[in-house]
Formats: sequence, C-alpha cells, structure tokens
Amino acid sequence: MKKLLALALVAVMALAMFACGSTDNYAAKNTEYFIGGTGPLTGDASSYGISVQNGAKLAIEKINANGGLNGKNFKFDIKDDQAAADKASSAYDQLFEAGMQISFGSVTSGSCEAFAAKAVNDNLFFMTPSASADICIANDNAFRVCFGDPDQGILAAEELTANFTKIGAIYDESDTYSSGIYEAFDAKMKELGVEYTTKTFNAENKLDFSTQVEALKDCDVIFLPIYYTEAGLIAKAAVAKGCDAVLFGCDGLDGVAGQIDETVTNVIKYITPFDVNSTDANVAEFVAAYETAYGVKPDQFAADGYDVVMAIYEAMKAAGVDDVTIDPDTLCEKVKAAITADDFTFTGVTGTMTWDLSGAATKVPVIIELNK
Amino acid sequence: MITLIDGLSLGSIYALIALGYTMVYGIAKMLNFAHGDVIMVGAYAIVITLSYSVSPIVAIVASIVLCTLLGIVIEKVAYKPLRGASPLAVLITAIGVSYFLQGVAQLVFGSQPKPVASVWRQLPAIPSLNDLGITTGAAVTLVCGVIIMVALTLFIKCTKTGRAMLAVSEDRGAAVLMGINVNKIITVTFAVGSALAAFAGMFYLFQIPNAEPTLGAMPGITAFTAAVIGGIGSIPGAMVGGILLGVVEKLCLASPLSSYTVAIKFSLLIVILLVKPTGLLGKITREKV
Amino acid sequence: MKNFKIKHFINYALVGALLIFGVIMHFTGSLRPSTAQLFAQIGYGIILAVSLNLVVGFLGELSLGHAGFMCVGAYIGGLFAVMLKQSGLDMKLPVLIIAMIVGGLFAALFGFIIGLPSLRLKGDYLAIVTLAFGEIVRNIFMNQKVFGGAKGLTTGSLIYDTRQSPTLFIVVFIVAIIMLALVQNLVRSKHGRAITAIRDNEIAAKAMGINVTFYKLFVFIVAAFFAGCAGVIYAHTTTPVLYSFFSYNYSIEILVMVVLGGMGSITGSIISAVFITAINFMLQSQLSGDLASLKNVVYAVILVIVVIFSNAPALKSFRERYSISAFFERFRKHDASKRRDDEAKWARVPSKIKMDALLSTDMAPDSDASIHGDISANDKGGSK
Repeated sequence: MKKLLALALVAVMALAMFACGSTDNYAAKNTEYFIGGTGPLTGDASSYGISVQNGAKLAIEKINANGGLNGKNFKFDIKDDQAAADKASSAYDQLFEAGMQISFGSVTSGSCEAFAAKAVNDNLFFMTPSASADICIANDNAFRVCFGDPDQGILAAEELTANFTKIGAIYDESDTYSSGIYEAFDAKMKELGVEYTTKTFNAENKLDFSTQVEALKDCDVIFLPIYYTEAGLIAKAAVAKGCDAVLFGCDGLDGVAGQIDETVTNVIKYITPFDVNSTDANVAEFVAAYETAYGVKPDQFAADGYDVVMAIYEAMKAAGVDDVTIDPDTLCEKVKAAITADDFTFTGVTGTMTWDLSGAATKVPVIIELNK
Repeated sequence: MITLIDGLSLGSIYALIALGYTMVYGIAKMLNFAHGDVIMVGAYAIVITLSYSVSPIVAIVASIVLCTLLGIVIEKVAYKPLRGASPLAVLITAIGVSYFLQGVAQLVFGSQPKPVASVWRQLPAIPSLNDLGITTGAAVTLVCGVIIMVALTLFIKCTKTGRAMLAVSEDRGAAVLMGINVNKIITVTFAVGSALAAFAGMFYLFQIPNAEPTLGAMPGITAFTAAVIGGIGSIPGAMVGGILLGVVEKLCLASPLSSYTVAIKFSLLIVILLVKPTGLLGKITREKV
Repeated sequence: MKNFKIKHFINYALVGALLIFGVIMHFTGSLRPSTAQLFAQIGYGIILAVSLNLVVGFLGELSLGHAGFMCVGAYIGGLFAVMLKQSGLDMKLPVLIIAMIVGGLFAALFGFIIGLPSLRLKGDYLAIVTLAFGEIVRNIFMNQKVFGGAKGLTTGSLIYDTRQSPTLFIVVFIVAIIMLALVQNLVRSKHGRAITAIRDNEIAAKAMGINVTFYKLFVFIVAAFFAGCAGVIYAHTTTPVLYSFFSYNYSIEILVMVVLGGMGSITGSIISAVFITAINFMLQSQLSGDLASLKNVVYAVILVIVVIFSNAPALKSFRERYSISAFFERFRKHDASKRRDDEAKWARVPSKIKMDALLSTDMAPDSDASIHGDISANDKGGSK
C-alpha cells in the first residue's frame, strides 16, 4: 500500500496517454516531412547515436535552408533506444503515431532488427546509417548506406593475406558488428587456407587490452573489426607493450584519430568510404560545417547520418513527392521505385552509391592510412 | 608470466576501488553503488584539468578535493535523510545517485570518451622493472595501493576518528551512548571513501587512458565482487580480492576459454563464498537468536 | 459475503482494470499501438516485480539476479517457440503458452541452482552471488551459437504486431492475474507464514519446526518460474532477444519496483511496476533528440525523491496522513464493528512484532546487521 502521489501520477499519465485516439494516417496533419529513427543517445553506445544525430541534423538544416522539398521543410526526431531492442520497438510506435513518414531506422544492429520487424508491417521506408547486419535490411522496405558486415570481412581477409604474413585479430564477441565482420573474415581466411591468431574481448572487459596485445605482439598486422574507442585503447596498449604491428580496421575505426596521441607510432589503416581529411569539396564542406556546429571532427557515424538524410531527400525529390501529408505506405513505394531506378546515383560524403532491392548500398571501399 | 604481471596491474586497480567499497560498507553498512561513478568524476577531473596543460600535481589535488566534496554532498543529500530507514531504500538512492552522476557527466562532457593528455602516461622509466614487462604505471599503482591500504589501517586503528569509525561499525547504538557523533563519523567515512575513489580514478587513467560517463560501472561491479571475495569490511581482504580477480581475469583472457571470462570470474566468487561464506578474510559472526 | 476484504481483491482489481480498460479501447478502435506495447511491458513488469517481491519482501533475501531468470526464459522459451513455429504449429496463443511453460520450467531449474547458495549465505553475500549468477547466465547464452551469439536470438516470427493485432497485452495481463492468484494464496497460506517466519527470524523458524531448506528453495523456484514466463513474453514483444538487455542494471530496475512499492506489498509492487514502466515510456517519448541525455538525470532525480519521501524517518507523519493506505482507511472507518472483528482474528496469530519483542531480551548486538530493514529488532538507527 503506497503513496497516493504515485497513484495520482500514474492516473495523470494514463489519461495523458489515452487522450487521443488513433487514425489510419497519422501523417495527415503534418505540415513538414517527418524523418524519424532511433539510436543510443545514453549509455555505453551513446557516442555512436549522438554522432548520427549530429550528422543527420546538419543535413536537415542544409535541406531546409535550401528551401526543403517543394517548399516544405523537413522535421527530424531521434528517440533514445539505449541500443536495446525493446526500447527501439516502443520508440518506433511512438514515432509512427507522431506522424513519421520515412525513417533512418536505428543506429545499432540489434535495435535496427527490432525496428525493421515493426516497419515491415507498416511498409515504412527506412535507410539505416550504420546497422550493418544483413538481417536489418532483409525486407524490401529496408535500405542502408554503410557497408555490410560480411563484405568488409571478406575484403579485409583478401587485403591482409596479400600484404602480410603474420596476421592477428582482436574482436568483440559481444558486439553484433564486430562478430559479424569477424565471422566473414574467418570464413574467408579458412577458404584461403591462411593461419592466423585470434584474441577476443567483450563488453565486460573492453578497457584493458594488455593480454590480447601481448599474445599478438609479434604479428605484422592486427585486424581490428571493432569501434574506434577500443581501437584507441589497443593502440596505446601496443605502445606500452612495444608492439609495432600495423593496425588494420574497418569503417568502425574511423574517428580513432581523436583517441590517440603522438605516442602512438603504429601504422593505422582502415577500410572506409569516408576520409575526414579528404580534399573533395563536398566532404570538406561537410567537415567544416560539422566542426563549426559541434566543435569536433565528424566520424564515420556522423558522415553516415548525414548521407542517409541527404539520400532520402534526393530519392524523395527523384520520386516527385509533393504531398506533405503523404502516408508512409505510399511514400515507401514511390521512394523505393525511385532509389532502385537504374539512373539513380547518390554522391554523398561517404562516396558515390547506388541501391538495388536488396537494400545494400553499392559503393567502392577505400583503404586509407591514418594521417597522424 | 607476463599475463600474471598484467593481471597484477589490473588487479591493483580493482583493489583500490574495492578499498573504497569495503570502507564505506564496513562503517555505514551500505552498498555504495555510486562509488564507481565518483571514480568517473575523479577521472574526468584529471582529464579536464590536464587539458589546460597544468601540472599533474594540480590535477591530482583538484580531483581529490572534488571527489571528497562530492562524497560529502552525496551523503548529505541522498543518504542522510534515510538514516534509520530500510537499508534497501538507501541502496536504491545509491543507484539513483549513480544514474544521476552518469547522466550529468554525459550532459557536461558528452558521450565520446575523452583521452587523457599524454603527459599523464609518460611516467619516468624504471629500467629494471620495465625489462620484466612491468609498466611504471602498474608498479606505481601496486605500491600506492599497498601504501594506501596500510595508511587506511593505521588511520582506523590509531586515530580517534578511526576508532570512532570502528565503534560505529561494531554497534551504532552503543557508539551513540559512548558520545560518538555517528552522523559526523559517517560523513567522514564518505569523505575518505570518495578520496579513495579519486585515487582509484587517478590510477585507472594510468592504465586505461580514457574517461567516459560509464567508466565506473563495470570496474565498479568487479571491484565490489573483489571486496566481497576478500570479505567485505576487511581492508586487506579488499586488496587480496582485487588482485586475485585481476589475475584470474587476465589468465582467462589468455586461455582458450577467453569467451567465458565473465562467467569464470563470477563463478570464482560463488565457489569462494560457498567455501568461506564471509569471504577470504571476512570475520565470521555467529548468529544468535 | 462474510469474508470479503477489499485488500484481498485490490490486486486483481488493479490489473483487471488495466485489462478491461485496454480491451474496451481495443474494441472501440482507440487503442494506440504504442499503448498496447506499453501495456505488454507493464504486464511483464508486474510479473517480474511481484515474483521478485516473493524473494525480497517475503523470504527476505536480497536478489540482484532476477533478470538472469528472465534471460533463461527469454532465450530458451523464445528458441522453443521459434522451433515450434518452424515445425508447423502456426497458432500464436498455444505456442506462447507452451513456450511460457517450457521457459518457466528452465528458469525454475536455474532458480533451484541459485537457491542452493542461499542455504549457506546471508544478506549482501547472497545478493552478490545472485548478481554474479545473472552475469554468468548472460555470458554463457551470449557464447552459444544456437542462440545467435552476439547477434541475439531472432524472434521475428513470434512478434505480436501491435498494429494489426495488439492483443498480446490481454494474454500478459491474464497471466499476471493467474500469477497474482497463486502468489496471494501462497503468501496467505500456512506456507506463506512459514516463509515470512524465515524472513523474520530464521533460527526461530527452524526451532519451530519449519523446513527452512525446502521453503527457501521453493521460493526461489517459484520466483524464477514467473521471471522465466516474463522472459518468454519479452521474446514475444521484440526481436532480437539480446543478452545485453538482461544485465544487472535490469535486475536493479526490477528491485527498484519492489522497494518503491514496499517490500512484502503485492499491491505496492503492481503500482510501482506500472509507475516505473510508464515513466520510462514517457521519458523516452518526450525527451528525444538533444534532450535524451536529460533522461537519466530526470529519472534519477525522481527515483531519489520518491525513495526519500516514502522512506525517510523524518517524514513519517507526513506519510501517515497522505499515504494510499490512509486514504482507504478513511473509507473503512465508519464500519468500526467489522474492523474490530478483523483485528481480533489477527490477534490470535502470533505476529512478528510480538515474536521480536519476546525474543529481543537476549538479542546480541549484531555487527553484521542484515540489510533487510524489516527485521528491525536488531537494526539500531543511528539517529536515536
């Protein structure tokens, strides 16, 4: 038997929630196009979600400053899912009921799978910036701008076996992205018949890497299909252990520059479609705008977030969307047709890409060496 | 061998954090779940002050002062009103404080990990140790850990405040009757515990050179486990437990069973407690009706 | 009805009201999918909170591993349901029920395993062992390829889509009501009194001839069973079942529900499960984008304030005037004859207070005071 206060609060909230009924097209009252999605904005993975949010907001501002789509502006909302699937599905319903018409899905793979399971029922078009697991884009309404996990793993295996002899790998067993790439990498290495050494870590011990680096000290190259925060720690552990192996990573490594300092002497290379130091005018403009707005250099997630919004915008423009209250289902069919059309190519800050119905972006990966 | 040494250096951090847990638990009889987050604040204090390129000494002092004040404030605001209430209620406010500190840290510092300035990691080399694979940071952590442990024991055994703490932990009611200001003693306990957290944050940065809002969570839980293994309330026990856990964690990671490191670490706790229900160095209290 | 007492039915009434409310809204077509989802979350929140209350509030053992049982249920029950679906049994409700029983039973098995240390360990030591157990379970499931490894168990085929058929919450609330009936009757039975006797004084209970081993294991098994059921329901609300969800943080969230509602109060657990779930939902929907980082701060502040208001000794008189029980008391007062009747009936049962008073004369000062507040006989407040 507890507080009257608690009961009163619950009652007030319940009333607030039930105040309005449902309609078939929640977007009917929209005065702006509504792009929504979810990402981890608090908790362990929050740096990724916040980068995507920042990048996407920059794109929205740019679009709206240039007059929006046929004079109608875009509205953007990202809900916090703490990288948890159940929160992503709640957030999906909340966004949908708030009038979301098109989406950038979720930032992390687990959440995006939950998001996709909901979105397929409403036939809502979404294009995820960074959920790289293939299950996220299994349905026809789902697209992505990042590379898929398997592609990167295979590419890395080919690249490493061609250039190095003693190969080591460290990956995060508890992470979908990392283990996804590693599985493909492992399969390819077995196919190529190359021996290599693997060390693992997981979310509970991702801070101290001395043991893993110690075991791989004598390798020529260490493959790191992980995110840049852990990679930065590994680089520093390598310095402490006197290990001079090349550190080779995937697109998650982008942003590692902010995590290391002059003491790190190892060569760091990674597969990425985005290079923050690129001289390309488009990229330079984005990097400058991002730095002005947020005071830091953009990472891969920010670039992906920016590109997703721009790609959605371009596709909507190509589809000739002119009704701001269009329902998600109709919009999805239009945008899907436009984006998979043969003549649709999109050039963003993460490269030039095209899409087919599989949902995966076709773009050229570049291997860059970190310019320290 | 190298793995053992790596384990020692990781363990020494766990031990330092565990000292804070065990100290607060021993006297205030509460699980201070917010301890890990005070460490986080201490680590941020160092990272931020160092980014203004001041001397590391200033950063250390700032961190200790900040953490001590924070500990006192937390105690006054969140725990003191609940003195005499159910200990579980205090546990919940401790968790609330932990969320609060994490939330505020994210608001203030953002969620990107902030690397500590390289000056912090450039300790003078000690050739004879470094050749063995022991980094200076690890050696300093270990030595300081032992010094802090001894100092803490002396403080509790030999000073008036320390003995008052002991009395409060033995029997709060009797301590009041003896004229001890229990509220003051508990505040002092939190101040000392939080200063220990500042030290832990400092040594943490020697080996894990990043500060992030959730920094305190996992090491905090591991250190708490360490404190329990050693016998919660026992100061040498916290040291032993911390080092044991660090070594076991590193041995597991180096072995083919590395995927099950977490499971093995926690299983060790269960096994030890089943054999010795009050931890390795815990006092066995006879239960009476 | 001679033996009718409001407090025996208030719990059913609370859950039933939510259920009926939801059903009416569903059939009038005004139920929002997000509300249906929230109702399902509230439903399993209630199941988790009430079952944990059985361990923490009634048995008096602090458990920080309740999410571990839920994890077992979600993974095993979820996988079982997926396999049933694949084998051609394409009926949602029977699959859910069978999976719930399977998941619950496996969780109960783990409950038995974790109940064993409780025979030997006490207080905080047991609490940390349950926490350790939760982490071990999740670490093991994460490493099993059959459960999807780090990618989690895909349960897409099980999902009750809240837009086309938002009916999962009906099943969940019915399960919750069945559980309430079982738990309420258990705690009011002879066995329930044995369990609270163990909480109040284990040695005395043993001396009275209560089989402490049996009851401790029994409570852990029952609580684990229901947490496993909640896990299976969870697997039906979202995909994938991801190991990271079941961390000690979630166990703590369930514990918060129990402590906020009041240990040993089933009604309290229900109300605070609704409260906490709804507050998380509201915070998520209101604080999006740049405001999201405020979420933790707001939640933490609410938590601390509510706990201090409902537990601080200094605010006791305030609570006595404005608490929910005082509110109900006002309605009951005019029926004075019945009240006395009740009291007389209860007076015949030796209450825990009397037992304590009886035994406290030779109570030794206990330096290792248990952290369970309601064993207050040997818990000396510092502010005396």
